[in-house]
Amino acid sequence: MKKKMLAALLAATMVAGLTACGSSETGGKSGGDLKVDTSEHVKITYMTTGGKPTNGATEEMLAELNKILTEKVNAELEIYYIDWTDYLSVYNLTLAQMDGTVDLVGTASDWLDAWPNAKNGAFLELSEDMLKTYAPKTWESVSPEHWELCKYNGEIYLMPEDNYAQWTNHGFAYRLDWAKEAGLADGVKSWEDLTTYFRYVKETYPDVIPWDSDGTQYGQMVGGWVTSHSNYVAIDGLNAGAMWGGTKDDLYTVYSPYVTDTDSLVEFAKMMKEWDEIGVWKTDVLNNTASDNREDYKIGRVAAEQHHTQTWTDLCSHKAGYTIYDDDPDAETGFFYFGEETGNVVALSITHGAMAVSAASKNPERALMVYDLLRNDPDCYKLINYGIKGKQWDTDESGMRIQPASYNKDTDSITTNYWWGRNDDLEIKDATMNWDAIDKMYAEYDKIKIDYPYGQFVPEVDNIQAKINNISEIHTNYMKQIAFGKYQGTAEEIVAEYQNALKAAGIDEVTAELQKQFDALYK
Amino acid sequence: MSRGTKAAALKPQTRKMTFWQKVYKYRVLLLMCLPAILFFLAFSYAPMPGIYVAFVKYNYRDGIFGSKFVGLRNFEFLFTSGKLLELTRNTILYNLAFIILGNVLAIFVAILLNEIRCKWFKKVSQTMMFLPYFISQVLVGVLVYNLLNYDYGFVNSILVNLGLERWGPYSDASVWPVLLVIIHLWQQTGYNSVVYFAAIMGIDAEIIEAARVDGANGWQKIRYIILPGLKPTFVILLLFALGGIVKGNFGLFYNVVGKNPLLYPTTDIIETYVYRACMTDFNFATASAVGLYQSVIGFCTVMVCNFIVKKIDPDYSLF
Repeated sequence: MKKKMLAALLAATMVAGLTACGSSETGGKSGGDLKVDTSEHVKITYMTTGGKPTNGATEEMLAELNKILTEKVNAELEIYYIDWTDYLSVYNLTLAQMDGTVDLVGTASDWLDAWPNAKNGAFLELSEDMLKTYAPKTWESVSPEHWELCKYNGEIYLMPEDNYAQWTNHGFAYRLDWAKEAGLADGVKSWEDLTTYFRYVKETYPDVIPWDSDGTQYGQMVGGWVTSHSNYVAIDGLNAGAMWGGTKDDLYTVYSPYVTDTDSLVEFAKMMKEWDEIGVWKTDVLNNTASDNREDYKIGRVAAEQHHTQTWTDLCSHKAGYTIYDDDPDAETGFFYFGEETGNVVALSITHGAMAVSAASKNPERALMVYDLLRNDPDCYKLINYGIKGKQWDTDESGMRIQPASYNKDTDSITTNYWWGRNDDLEIKDATMNWDAIDKMYAEYDKIKIDYPYGQFVPEVDNIQAKINNISEIHTNYMKQIAFGKYQGTAEEIVAEYQNALKAAGIDEVTAELQKQFDALYK
Repeated sequence: MSRGTKAAALKPQTRKMTFWQKVYKYRVLLLMCLPAILFFLAFSYAPMPGIYVAFVKYNYRDGIFGSKFVGLRNFEFLFTSGKLLELTRNTILYNLAFIILGNVLAIFVAILLNEIRCKWFKKVSQTMMFLPYFISQVLVGVLVYNLLNYDYGFVNSILVNLGLERWGPYSDASVWPVLLVIIHLWQQTGYNSVVYFAAIMGIDAEIIEAARVDGANGWQKIRYIILPGLKPTFVILLLFALGGIVKGNFGLFYNVVGKNPLLYPTTDIIETYVYRACMTDFNFATASAVGLYQSVIGFCTVMVCNFIVKKIDPDYSLF
């Protein structure tokens, strides 16, 4: 009998491949006595998304920066990179280690799971005393209302990038000169215009793929369609599809347009089928992993790029290596933003970029001091953002930022991806950017935008997480087929099937639960 | 070892030895087992308490045992998705096809290799079959895509040049069970056949010699000597493989099929579904719950199969 038990245990071992690791290390640190003690030299590691640079220029810049940091706060900075491949998983996993690998963590409430990580205990609560003592300039520069938006359960977890103008609402960047050739005198102003544009490009420029999508933009496309055809304002951070929200007229009544706006979705499905038939993307778009659409756009192999305004500001500028502008002096890049038809544009949440301190950090005080310098000290700021003056950047007569003649992209470029505390007070405008077009666009946005209304809403999803997971999965599976016109049967059938699946997965219950939490917060 | 066995042989056993006496007596054998024992202790038994993570709402700072107990809530998502049956069915059917076809083909290849008399040809063919085993699944995915894609794929270029219709497997779910099995066999057969080839080498040469003297032809030799000789190996490998019957080959499916929902009806297995549903919000607890579900089913499968094998022929059972 004993033998049998042993054998059974052995068999269990063979099949048990459980991944159960993780330490129960507690990194809880309270504010402590708030004295500035910099007697010991420490290393502060800052974690960011992005590929690790290999040309050595970043290290050179850091050496310069560390001279200043050592002098001022007796600390040095190191950068920990999370490569873009599966970045969200690696990012969360690195935070879950909780072994003090990282001190400062670049994060975001809408694209980097800031709130789930705060809830999971990965971030340190930043008490007011701590902020006042160790990051006084940051504390002063952020308004009390903005600090409110960085709180969860009454504790501050994030230091927001709230003084930096940028727009990350999505849309399509396209060749304005080609759109004009296609008969769209003002450029693309609607989804229907896009159809005309793509059809024209396909017929006139057979070597150009209108848009070499890799099949991942389904969520942006249908989200953009909904924005363009309603007053929908989505709640960030619930799921990747941003499937719940209110309307501009009635912000605090939660609904999901994916359930209610059936006719609109059917129309979307039909138009995407048309795009697929035109040949806007490759036939096997859903398995296309080899495309590099943005780079291809710069050299004229494709005719559109679906991404946000910030990316467009780059694409519309005549920078080195952007050969479309060299080859064709008439080339221009326009931007059709989602919501253009209905004037539905929501400004960026201030926690689209923010810095947090890891709960496992051994030197949270010093980390805050370093961040305060990076964000507010002009010398540190320029080093971490632009590099060494005279090497990576310089100023022209008008005080704008230019690249020195000696600058070589391969050997001199730095990667710090410091998107968590940029500061317009210290920014130097980039002379290579097409500011005429960009300022015009920003002015247009400023006229119609509304501020992100749900900044203070941190949903409690424990009870509905299972449903949300399943809903996200359904959304992904159906929207990939719908948004790339790959569905079988009619548009009406596939939308009905999609909505039935959503209902079966409990989308109505999730909406009701969110409404309950909204009522508790806003009423 | 020699001293121990000698002593045992000299003094006939009159009373039963205690556990520790046995440990002492077989100490050298145990020492030889030690690396394996340590391996299982460290990587299979030590993490077992961590299964508990499947029943808590995991929080980094409180750790596995400090987090809040939530009972079976982590399993809920698996059952409410309504996909569990389809996923389990796909996983099991694919694994059955892999196990059965894989073993049969491996035995077939091993016998062929055994019959080849030309030494260099035997070596070369064995090596060539072995090589695909070392190709990373990521590369396999790229290879398959470049062979099969609609616009620029190798197969379609040939079809078009022959004046035939293009073939679009990436929008046709029905062809993937066949394709995936072929890809799997291409990768694994060389490796698996080595095991069987070794087993054939282990068959007593005298039996084969005697059969030849008795006038058995080549076919009879295979049918009555080699195949029965391979039976124990086959049964053991089968039982081992059955333990993993609800664990899918994630690398193969994820890289070859990718995230193309058109193909999910026939290609979605538990692993790929869980990856998509849980990786985006990084939920350790749910993922562990799924792991536990798979392990429990695997454990039951092994126990049941072993029981059946034992009923038929106790010599072939694992325990």
